[in-house]
Amino acid sequence: MTTENYPVTDNQLMQEVRDGRVEKLAVLFERHHVRLYNFMLRLTGNASVSEDLVQEVFCRILKYRTTYKGTGTFPLWMFQIARNTHIDYLRKKKAELSLDEQWDEAASGELSPPERTERDLDIVLVQEALARLPLKKREVLVLSRFQNLKYREIAEILDCHIGTVKAHVHRAIKDLRKIYLDLSGEAAL
Amino acid sequence: MNCRNIKTMFPDYLIGDLSQQEKLLVQNHLADCTSCRSELESLSSVWTKLGVLPEEEPGERLRARFYSMLAAYKQGLEQERAARSWGHAFSLWLERWWPRRPVVQLGTALGLLAVGLAAGFWLRSAPNAAADMLPLRQEMQDMRATLAMSLLDNSSASERLRGVNLSVRMDQPDERLLDSLLQTLDSDPSSNVRLAVVDALYLFRDHAGMRRRLSESLSRQTNPLVQVALIDLIVNLRERQAADALKALIESDRLAPEVKLRAQQGLETLL
Repeated sequence: MTTENYPVTDNQLMQEVRDGRVEKLAVLFERHHVRLYNFMLRLTGNASVSEDLVQEVFCRILKYRTTYKGTGTFPLWMFQIARNTHIDYLRKKKAELSLDEQWDEAASGELSPPERTERDLDIVLVQEALARLPLKKREVLVLSRFQNLKYREIAEILDCHIGTVKAHVHRAIKDLRKIYLDLSGEAAL
Repeated sequence: MNCRNIKTMFPDYLIGDLSQQEKLLVQNHLADCTSCRSELESLSSVWTKLGVLPEEEPGERLRARFYSMLAAYKQGLEQERAARSWGHAFSLWLERWWPRRPVVQLGTALGLLAVGLAAGFWLRSAPNAAADMLPLRQEMQDMRATLAMSLLDNSSASERLRGVNLSVRMDQPDERLLDSLLQTLDSDPSSNVRLAVVDALYLFRDHAGMRRRLSESLSRQTNPLVQVALIDLIVNLRERQAADALKALIESDRLAPEVKLRAQQGLETLL
């Protein structure tokens, strides 16, 4: 989350974008698109969908740029938009596909070539277990484990109490363990 | 601490967000509680397990799409701007060029101030500009004098003091104002006001007749403080008539001894 090392902070850049120098968004893109991509990848388990969603996030940043207040940090604002983008994507998808089909797609992700190693298998299993977590729990887990955000920051993104975030993380890990064990059929975790 | 309280700290434990003290609390509890220990171990192993998911790089296509989207957006924005009125375009132009960094803003502000000062100095030094200003200055002086005189007539001592202070700020007090000040010196009920007038009149000492009138006023003063101040003033001015006034004062009865002493010292200085 630290931006001190940059000569121009995210916040300053986004304020410039807000005030009409939209070309500055390129710097923010270079700084954050990989992070956003991985956020989407952990939520959806699908690389091409994740790329589309990252693109959509930056479109929305431009669309809503004038609402940027610059009081909080830019990444938190960005993740709020990213989260809504993902939720909207799920809604749209739900209208098109049944739940079972969604799971099928997640399971047949890109890491399923015939000659996969044990580690690759593990990656698929963990990603699949994540995909089966209820959305709320998946979100808090992805934000805390992969985006290294503090619970306080996650609470701000999700607009809820910090205690709720912690409780969700706790439950999410327990549930994830159960799902993982079911999937792998082993009891070693 | 019971198991329930300890468990609420597990999420913080996982991301390493516990203070030294809290960590110690958890560790002490785990040493005695098998069920909590196994739960935390299981949570930690899942937490670690999630680490197998590598951070991945998106395809180059994403970047290309982003930049073309940005270029299209920018073009649309510029067309919209061009379509707007000139007035608006001008304010947008200002907005664009007005520096956002405080340091640059300060620099710009100081630069503009310097330009303003230079322009002001140049205008001031231009002779016909000064000539233009003359009637205006005269008008200001008159207004000030009128205000000062009306304040000197006020029933409140502090207002009269303000009037005295205002008179001091005049370069060329007119006759009417000086009369008012001398009148105040002779008859004001407040010794503070009279003392302030003594100080004020020192500034106008070179005005015609002023020294003589100050000496005359000495005989009309009764307050020792005002007497001493006035003695000091006229001695300081080396007014010839002051000697007579001092002599007259020394001879008068009802004079405080310290005032008499001061008058005698003053007389010696003058002679």
